[in-house]
Amino acid sequence: MNSKRRETYLVLIYCFVMALLPASHGQSTEDSQARALLVELVLGDDDSRASTLEELANHGDPIIATFVAGWRGGQVLRDGDDTVLLKIGEQYTDLLTGVATQANPENLKVNRPSRKLRKTLKRMVDLIDLSSPDLGKRIQSAQKLGLSQNPEYLPDLKARAALQTDAKVKRAFNEAVWISELSNGTEAEKLEAIKALGSLKSFPARDFIERCVSAETEPTAELKQASQQALQKIDSHRALIDVIGTLFRGLSLGSVLLLVAYGLAITFGQMGVINMAHGEFIAVGGYTAYMVQNWFGSTYGEGSPLYGYYFLVAIPLAFLAAAVVGAALERGLIRFLYTRPLESLLATWGISMILQQSFRLYFGAANVSVSSPPWLAGSLSVGDFSMSNSRVALIVCVLFVVIGTRLLLTKTHWGLHVRATMQNRQMASCLGVPSGRVNMITFAFGSGLAGLAGAFLSQIGNVGPSMGQTYIVDSFMVVVVGGVGNLLGAAISSMGIGMVDQGLQPILGPVMGKITVLLMIILFLQVKPGGLFPARSRSLDD
Amino acid sequence: MGKRIIHKALLLLATLGLANSTLTAETVKVGVLHSLSGTMAISETSLRDILLFTFDEINAAGGVMGKTIEPVVVDGASDWPLFAEKAEQLLVQDKVAVTFGCWTSVSRKSVLPVYEKHKGLLFYPVQYEGEEMSPNIFYTAEAVNQQAIPAVDFLLEEGLKKFYLIGTDYVYPQTTNLVLFEYLQSKGVPVENIGGGLRKDASGKVISAGNYTPFGHSDFQQIVADIKKFAASGDACVINTINGDANVPFFKEFAASGITSEDCPVVSFSLSEDEFRSLPAKDLVGHLGCWTYFMSIDTPANKKFIADFKSWLGKTSVPGLIKEDRVTCSPMVLSYNGVYLWKAAVEKAKSFDPAKVMEALESGITFDGPGGKVTTQKNHHLTKTVYIGETLENGQFAIVERMADVVGEPFLKGTFKKQ
Repeated sequence: MNSKRRETYLVLIYCFVMALLPASHGQSTEDSQARALLVELVLGDDDSRASTLEELANHGDPIIATFVAGWRGGQVLRDGDDTVLLKIGEQYTDLLTGVATQANPENLKVNRPSRKLRKTLKRMVDLIDLSSPDLGKRIQSAQKLGLSQNPEYLPDLKARAALQTDAKVKRAFNEAVWISELSNGTEAEKLEAIKALGSLKSFPARDFIERCVSAETEPTAELKQASQQALQKIDSHRALIDVIGTLFRGLSLGSVLLLVAYGLAITFGQMGVINMAHGEFIAVGGYTAYMVQNWFGSTYGEGSPLYGYYFLVAIPLAFLAAAVVGAALERGLIRFLYTRPLESLLATWGISMILQQSFRLYFGAANVSVSSPPWLAGSLSVGDFSMSNSRVALIVCVLFVVIGTRLLLTKTHWGLHVRATMQNRQMASCLGVPSGRVNMITFAFGSGLAGLAGAFLSQIGNVGPSMGQTYIVDSFMVVVVGGVGNLLGAAISSMGIGMVDQGLQPILGPVMGKITVLLMIILFLQVKPGGLFPARSRSLDD
Repeated sequence: MGKRIIHKALLLLATLGLANSTLTAETVKVGVLHSLSGTMAISETSLRDILLFTFDEINAAGGVMGKTIEPVVVDGASDWPLFAEKAEQLLVQDKVAVTFGCWTSVSRKSVLPVYEKHKGLLFYPVQYEGEEMSPNIFYTAEAVNQQAIPAVDFLLEEGLKKFYLIGTDYVYPQTTNLVLFEYLQSKGVPVENIGGGLRKDASGKVISAGNYTPFGHSDFQQIVADIKKFAASGDACVINTINGDANVPFFKEFAASGITSEDCPVVSFSLSEDEFRSLPAKDLVGHLGCWTYFMSIDTPANKKFIADFKSWLGKTSVPGLIKEDRVTCSPMVLSYNGVYLWKAAVEKAKSFDPAKVMEALESGITFDGPGGKVTTQKNHHLTKTVYIGETLENGQFAIVERMADVVGEPFLKGTFKKQ
């Protein structure tokens, strides 16, 4: 009895403290003023909003940034006529007081800002962010305020630029100041700014330098010369970045091609099965990623941090799912057709259509949407060059696949059996290699790689019933150009095709670029019909 | 005894036949010509659904001039020559009074001579490139000045200065972008601020503006890098006429490159609510769309329309119809408006004759549809309200701009003067 009373007592104290905490937080006058203004902003009409914004600009409260982000994402709700709630996670807080409250979702109406208002607010948040402890945010806001060339921000930027210690941040602030000076500075400042921006090799500044010189009615010879030098510096740096970018994009397209074709290089190249259903194994992988995503979404909720890791689970599952389908196909159909390659072509083509129709029946004819987890969604920058995380992940995965497959085939017992069986199926069986099982596992492995490719492709493209059709031609192209039966050949040919394609695109455009690549492949195969590394595998001779 | 039975049976047959003939006299045949299979089926099946719903709604309210609408649904199968054959079948064999159909411009171009030859009447509901006005087609569709041009006006007002044009390589994006290229220059945007590249013929005339990709293109790295370069100095936007599922790799690449909708908004002309059923809307939040109808329009008329359509979906027994997660979008509403405009025109002309109905349509008929008031014009297009919306995370649009009574104008090329 006694203990129970004590418990109640404790709970009461706890509640009291909890209720006090946000309230005491809300007591600072700065904060509560900002909150009141924000509420006014939500409830007001367009005319009153302008004056509210002006007042709000004088506050530097962090609640403004939280609010603006929430307003945009539909997390600001009106409860009745005069209460405004902010939803963070599943919790509602009253915007005016900052106290957590309960609300009936049915009475709430989402409130959204107009685009114009949001833009002004964004500027305001940028100003607040100038002193944010997050350096990335600081850089971004400095860049944005500089590009706006608004004279109001110039003193602020200048004052803060001197205070920055981090080299990257300092550079961003200086760049912003100089760009702003291009339109707001004196003649001497302009000249200095142009010179400085030139030696910074600033991309964003390029247009502004041009505009600055053309805005002058009579530009001095000095200004002209400085701007020419600056533009030249920027352009040559940009050309360098373009070349690096094209190399990276070529590598990344090559990796996509290699990933989709590597499974085929094993099933077609090594085993000699013309597998037209290869594309559908890719789709199996894509749909597996979709299902894992949905399962994580319904089990943990899309907002939970665990949801972001669905992709790590999806990768092995996609491999397994496609491998199981591949093994079943090998046992059920392909093993009867090893001596009749042309019939295997027709049979697998039929299978591919059956699989496509099953996807349509089960998942619907429309494509399904797979979202990227947050850690794969961003991009990585090195200097002025940036690459997206999903592409980097793809390249790393391809490296693993190529090295892993190579080790499996050359260093393991199973690999020895595979190579023996692929060289001569009958002879291998005579020597005691369980060729039936080896065939099945090899085919399943090749199919599994296709499934893996599908999981990765879900991050950069479509997942739908006919997604396999998009990649099957490319896959055969890579394998044939590389030389049927040669895994290294497939790796080299896919990288080559990727590089040539990306290299031609900026010059010829995507349509002509693709046509030119196909023409080059046809010509190449006229000269070298066996591909880069013609194989002398017996399994293809008979 | 046997004779009497035969007699009775004959009598029964005769009455049945009579009843049958009176029944046919009270119906009017109406053609529905859409792709129900092939690549376009995903989009066009929705239009068939909404048309069947509209017919049921009109029939329940007494039909057209006392006659019940009898739909004749044929499948164009995403095969353009087949569209012409099916149109011929509808006009010659079934003798339909009117046809509602076509999605792609190429299917419309392929049936156009058939309708002109047999003096039929076709209602076309999907945004298109203009430069066409057949005496036998009525375009409820958005003309370029009811979609692309209002969108550009909006972006200019927002203070954007640089425009990057990108599209799929076929007639609609090519023509639209050429019109926009002229329009932007007439608004004082210098040529170097219009991105995507230009192609000129031997005499130096611009024959193509913008960057084009094949259908189903999957690698947008190079294009997004180009856009990033273009947008580096701020105040830039992208005008997107990419068609179908190629939008997914484009927007995924765009989002991954770190450009946000605040740095560089993308306005898309081929993405409506129906397309978002298979797109990751998360990657598109904050980007813009421009149509003459959005499902999110907050009017009693639109709410009733959506509720009626959903309850019809629940009751109907049409085979192969998807009932879950259905949305409404602009092409669907323009099909719906088309049927009601035809009904009003028939009642005004007091005849089902296509020529007389077209005459009534040209005289100006008004209908209050789910997207607001629409009025037919002499040039076979509609005056209607244009909306600009921002994509939300649930695949709907938040309306940010509304322009009332925009007059449809099909011939725009060469009408804008350089400043």
